[in-house]
Amino acid sequence: MKLGIVTGKVWATRKVKELEGCRLLIVQPVSSDRTPVDLPLVAADPGGLAGAGDVVVYVTSTDAAAAFPGGLAPVNASVVELVDRIA
Amino acid sequence: MIFARVTGTVVATQKDPNLNGKKLLLCKETDHAGNPLKTYHVAVDAVGAGEGALVLLSYGSAARMTDETRTAPIDAVVMAIVDDVQVEHDAAPAKGGR
Repeated sequence: MKLGIVTGKVWATRKVKELEGCRLLIVQPVSSDRTPVDLPLVAADPGGLAGAGDVVVYVTSTDAAAAFPGGLAPVNASVVELVDRIA
Repeated sequence: MIFARVTGTVVATQKDPNLNGKKLLLCKETDHAGNPLKTYHVAVDAVGAGEGALVLLSYGSAARMTDETRTAPIDAVVMAIVDDVQVEHDAAPAKGGR
């Protein structure tokens, strides 16, 4: 699981049925002090948790699908937590 | 997921039986603004994307996680057609990549 800041969203009306109703966000990976690291990525937000400017925790790889009901979705990254604060 | 532009189709008559009836698209990876990057992918079309469309592509084992591709030996699938990308909060200069 990694930290990221939501920088934007992707509008896509036509998508596979596993992703219907699911928002797609652009996430900039950041370090714990919120400095950007690495390149931005597109992550699904199955819980509808985040909007632009929010700090989130996201998962990648096979685990990204586990954030969906049934555990099956063709995604490479999913937002799983909206961060309130980092202590 | 990565952004890609559909640049063509791949036609193959002899293929793995699990790929029968699946449309293969030639996709050039782009950044979120649609500017082309260097990498190409051959991806199964799960949404009916046409040539020239900006799409989202999932790669690796995630590509098999649609009803259409569950049993197919593939590692890339076009899973959404992009209508618009909105960048509202600039955390960093977004340049290319996934």
